[in-house]
Amino acid sequence: MVNGMATGESSMDDEVFEVDGCRNLEVDGGHQRTTPSPTGYRDYKPPDEVLRLCETDHLDDTEYLVHKTILLGDSGVGKTSLLVKFDTGRFQSGNFSATVGIGFTNKVVNVDQTRVKLQIWDTAGQERFRSVTHAYYRDAHALLLLYDVTNKTSFDNIRAWLGEIREYAQDDVVIMLLGNKADAGVERAVRREEGERLAREYNVAFMETSAKSGQNVDLAFLAIARELKYRQSGQKDENRFNVQEYIHEKLTQHDSKPQQCPPCNT
Amino acid sequence: MSCTEVNPGASVESVLVTTDSCENFEQMSSSLEEIKNYVGKSPEVSDSSTSVDNLEESNSLNAVGSDDDYIRSKDWLEKKKHIFVLSSAGKPIYSRYGIEDKLVTMFGVMQALVSFVQDQNDTINCIHAGSTKYVFLNKNHLILVAISKTEESVPQLVSQLNYVFNQIASILTLTRLNKIYEQRRNYDLRRLLSGVERIIDHLLNFYEIEPALTLGAVQCLSLPPSIRDTISSAITQACSKIKNLVFAILLANNKLITLVRMKKYAIHPADLHLIFNLVQASESFKTVESWTPLCLPRFDASGFLYGHVSYLAEDCQACLLLLTVERDVFFTLSEAKHKIVEKMRRANCLEAINESLNSTDGTCLNAGFPELRHYIYKSKSTAQFHQPEISAPYINNTERLLMLYKRAHRRLHSVGRPLKLLFERSPQEAVLAWDTRGFELYVILEPLIETSAAIASVGKLLNWIKKREDKLFHLNAPTF
Repeated sequence: MVNGMATGESSMDDEVFEVDGCRNLEVDGGHQRTTPSPTGYRDYKPPDEVLRLCETDHLDDTEYLVHKTILLGDSGVGKTSLLVKFDTGRFQSGNFSATVGIGFTNKVVNVDQTRVKLQIWDTAGQERFRSVTHAYYRDAHALLLLYDVTNKTSFDNIRAWLGEIREYAQDDVVIMLLGNKADAGVERAVRREEGERLAREYNVAFMETSAKSGQNVDLAFLAIARELKYRQSGQKDENRFNVQEYIHEKLTQHDSKPQQCPPCNT
Repeated sequence: MSCTEVNPGASVESVLVTTDSCENFEQMSSSLEEIKNYVGKSPEVSDSSTSVDNLEESNSLNAVGSDDDYIRSKDWLEKKKHIFVLSSAGKPIYSRYGIEDKLVTMFGVMQALVSFVQDQNDTINCIHAGSTKYVFLNKNHLILVAISKTEESVPQLVSQLNYVFNQIASILTLTRLNKIYEQRRNYDLRRLLSGVERIIDHLLNFYEIEPALTLGAVQCLSLPPSIRDTISSAITQACSKIKNLVFAILLANNKLITLVRMKKYAIHPADLHLIFNLVQASESFKTVESWTPLCLPRFDASGFLYGHVSYLAEDCQACLLLLTVERDVFFTLSEAKHKIVEKMRRANCLEAINESLNSTDGTCLNAGFPELRHYIYKSKSTAQFHQPEISAPYINNTERLLMLYKRAHRRLHSVGRPLKLLFERSPQEAVLAWDTRGFELYVILEPLIETSAAIASVGKLLNWIKKREDKLFHLNAPTF
């Protein structure tokens, strides 16, 4: 594995990346072996189901599924803010600083007792960086496409973005449309229904988010992680999991709370 | 003076290109093609053609009405130095203060002035009107204008305009810039430069607070030579097997820690200044590992290098840039970065860097020169300079200090009458500036100092620097 890294320096593509994921798995596996057997019998390993039962959040021995997610959208719609909010829980207001090129973050989330590693690429929205970001579309498993509900142009550009995605990304990529800055009151320029309609037209999941208030931020990433997990584990049975339904369900669950963004009808 | 032999900080081989003049691209030090071909790879065209399809509209004409009021506003008029960039067709691209759209008429006037003189097969360089200078720099498709009430000389203003132009070229590449205007003379370049205004603003402020850009040199973080070597070798080892890595640059607080380069290639200080500026102006580098295209116009104005940019660690705010010609090796470089940090941590290099960054005892007084207030020593052969910590009376008045240096620099490098040695006394301070083949030295002294005492302490100072040269300067030029 280490050799693979040292000699495979030609180019970092999907393959090498997957190897990276495997390494974690190996190392973790080794770690597991050195811990004393829970039963006290040497070399006895309880069945997987039993082990899964005793899993807790801080155990490191669960397997990682690694997925690439890209944040896309016009400059200034709040891609970095959304990511920072998800990653650290903080929102820095008035601190606008355009992303230069592509930023890279790893985030591990739990989906049904499995740890899913999201490798999140935060891209610069400016046109001049397109040629660089296109190179990364190809390997992406999921795309979060953002617009700013206070900026009509950013919404109008969504169609162009979807065109680019169609051109450069894989066909089965998971796409989620997010209307960010949903906390904006009077400044809102795009109604939620417009976003919904567009999402329905392109058959992609949709919700409104706010990096400022935190509305739906975790949900957006978790829904992606969940969808990717089910796809990866081969349970890509159409009825089994559906992002749109999941979001719908989650949003309705919280109906008791005052919701700025009522559930989407899919 | 007996000490002309002493030439601290000199080195036969330099990591930095040491030519003067930041003006043109004619003397490019190297080319990306060469690197790629060297490894036997077919060159890729690193140019995004998608944008060409939708070159549309410019709404610069929307702003009518209060234009005149705007130009006449007191606040705007009182700015000491305005910088403008426009296309040769007169389209506004950048204004340091105010919104370009509101200044459309003025951009028209500037364009008219340039083309009027051009019609007579001549080039307008500058206009002096009282204490105001209007300086023009005419590049192929762009016109850059500085309107200044500061003391800065015309060459110093031209150098700033060149920096702005290089910054724009660094974002787009010169090739692309030319191509755009060859296709559409009328193109509104702001479309491709959104977000760059901030970087240009920062660059211009940077020029005003950092002597580095005026001097055309780079300051190094003072570090024990063994630490610097350890860092360099950590980088070399981690990157030795990576093909096409051109430069690895480690910097902190606008000071260079080390620079490892591909054999044969060196980096120009002007390019390094653009990198320093970009790193300082971009908050986003601080939070995540980034991958960014970057053109170094003095290195090769025709294409991009790709940079892996990241800070070393939470507890060490030094920024590492790994620059390559490959556009998709992020993970290779990310891996290399982690190896570098690991090695540096084991060798206690991170502490050493932090210690140097936090130390405040580098004043002239602490070094045993009570009669000196401040100095700048530039070693010409390495394009590096050293200055002590700023101490009283300039702690809260660095502008004045920098103004003194700029004035001395201007007089040494005056086109009409360059000086070798300058000693100037005013009620506030005495200034000594000295230009030799190997170095430039600028010293600010107590105003009442005797000339002979000043010369004696300059000699002492040179010896002092000489003794510490391997700590204050980056003298090895390590390669991968």
